[in-house]
Amino acid sequence: MKREPIKVLLVDDEEDFVEMLSLRLETVGEEVTSAYSGEQCLEMLEGKAIDVVILDVKMPGMDGIETLREIKRRFPAVEVILMTGHGTMESAIEGQALGAFDYLLKPADFNELMEKLEAARKRKVATKG
Amino acid sequence: MEELRLLLVDDEEHFRQVLAKRLSRRGMAPEQAGSGEECLNLLEKRPMDVVILDVKMPGMDGLEVLRRIKERYERTEVILLTGYANTQDGVDGIKSGAFDYLSKPVELDHLAGKIKQAHEKILWEEERKKEADFRARMEQRMAAAERLASLGTLASVVAHEINNPLAIINDSVGWMQLLLSKPDMAEMHIKGQLEKGLGKIAKSVERAKKVTHQLLGFARKDDSVVSEVNLSQLVEEAVQLVEKEASYKEIEFVQEVDASLDSIRSDAFQLRQVLINLLTNAIHATGPKGRIKIRLQKDGEQAILTIQDTGQGIPQEDLERIFEPFFSTKPTGEGTGLGLFVTRGIVEKLGGTIEAESRLGEGTDFRITLPRVYQNEGSVEAEGRTDWLEKERDTASKPTTPGEKPS
Repeated sequence: MKREPIKVLLVDDEEDFVEMLSLRLETVGEEVTSAYSGEQCLEMLEGKAIDVVILDVKMPGMDGIETLREIKRRFPAVEVILMTGHGTMESAIEGQALGAFDYLLKPADFNELMEKLEAARKRKVATKG
Repeated sequence: MEELRLLLVDDEEHFRQVLAKRLSRRGMAPEQAGSGEECLNLLEKRPMDVVILDVKMPGMDGLEVLRRIKERYERTEVILLTGYANTQDGVDGIKSGAFDYLSKPVELDHLAGKIKQAHEKILWEEERKKEADFRARMEQRMAAAERLASLGTLASVVAHEINNPLAIINDSVGWMQLLLSKPDMAEMHIKGQLEKGLGKIAKSVERAKKVTHQLLGFARKDDSVVSEVNLSQLVEEAVQLVEKEASYKEIEFVQEVDASLDSIRSDAFQLRQVLINLLTNAIHATGPKGRIKIRLQKDGEQAILTIQDTGQGIPQEDLERIFEPFFSTKPTGEGTGLGLFVTRGIVEKLGGTIEAESRLGEGTDFRITLPRVYQNEGSVEAEGRTDWLEKERDTASKPTTPGEKPS
């Protein structure tokens, strides 16, 4: 029995990171779209159905928190998992207040990421259909 | 003015007695010595502020006694009594460190005045030394605080810069491992070697990640989130989190809670980190079937938390260094050497102190003293933070189950 792939949008200014994590997620069967900035992330969301956004907090230009705010305003059904190499509690708390589903510290454990992706998609399906 | 300790040294007994009596009448009763040797013996037993010293004495003369006094008791002031019109002795004496000299016959007012001046000089120098000590201590503290602050900033920047490439390595390895596990790879003859190499990379990433995440734990100590914390409940939670590891060695936990200690105001998240660090250390230190005792006490405005293990103890020379960053006695690659460093950083940030006491062969006590109400302008009131933490705890305490996906 084949399960439905999670439609992931991966947003990070580190292109190598986006490339490798995408490959890994695709290998386990998920459907991944990439974006390298907050602006590009929002553009992608316009044209594509996405379940979960994995969003880097620290990016040049529009940062993760700003992007999260925009996502929640314009695409409230989409779930967001914040990811950062900079473990400040403040952005975790702020992110949660803004509606992020969860928060992960880089380098993240893949199993943990998968669990969170799965849980985020479940919530999206449960609340918004 | 503090009690003046005065010693009068002269070989002519009559002169000495008369002078001593007259000084006593002015409230400056001196002790007496009849020779240089006697003077030095007496000083060895009782320190003196001012010594009135006759220069011309049989045996060891006054100038020699003066030199020895100045050698050994730099804070003792000496007033020399020289023969009539013998200024050379006086000048030599000043050169050797005498406070002043008076020529015989001594005019009492003059002498009393000099004694007073010498005493004032001593008090002034004491005061100055106290001030200098105080200033040095403050400067030391400031320097330590600055160093910690800049270390925190540096730590978070470095950790961030390293976490990103680590994440790339991590996912590259994971991806290659996934590819190798595909059925069409089963036949490849070097599959085992590749897997071995990738395994080593993955393990090393884990090791480096431990360091950077702990460094961030250190840097993070600036963002305290204060709320009501039930310490005994927190201890209970922390014990649950480490229980599995302890059960392998059949280690028993004993908790002793002072019932009068209600909740304190502090940062629950950071305190849990502290507890987990200390309990994990205690488990590592304690042998099979050992015991770890956790005690919570109330002491006025403070809460005291003691974690006592029954391990082999820490040698004194190590005990002095355990809170230093990167100090570890574990084999290379096993301990980051940051656990206790971060722990102390957190405790101090929360206004507390931590100290370790150890008896070889018996075990080690870590004692944390925390203010029952932590106040800090930079801290954030906890708000809607709890369920986030609950979630974090849930995932931390639950074993991860890969592959468990809804179909």
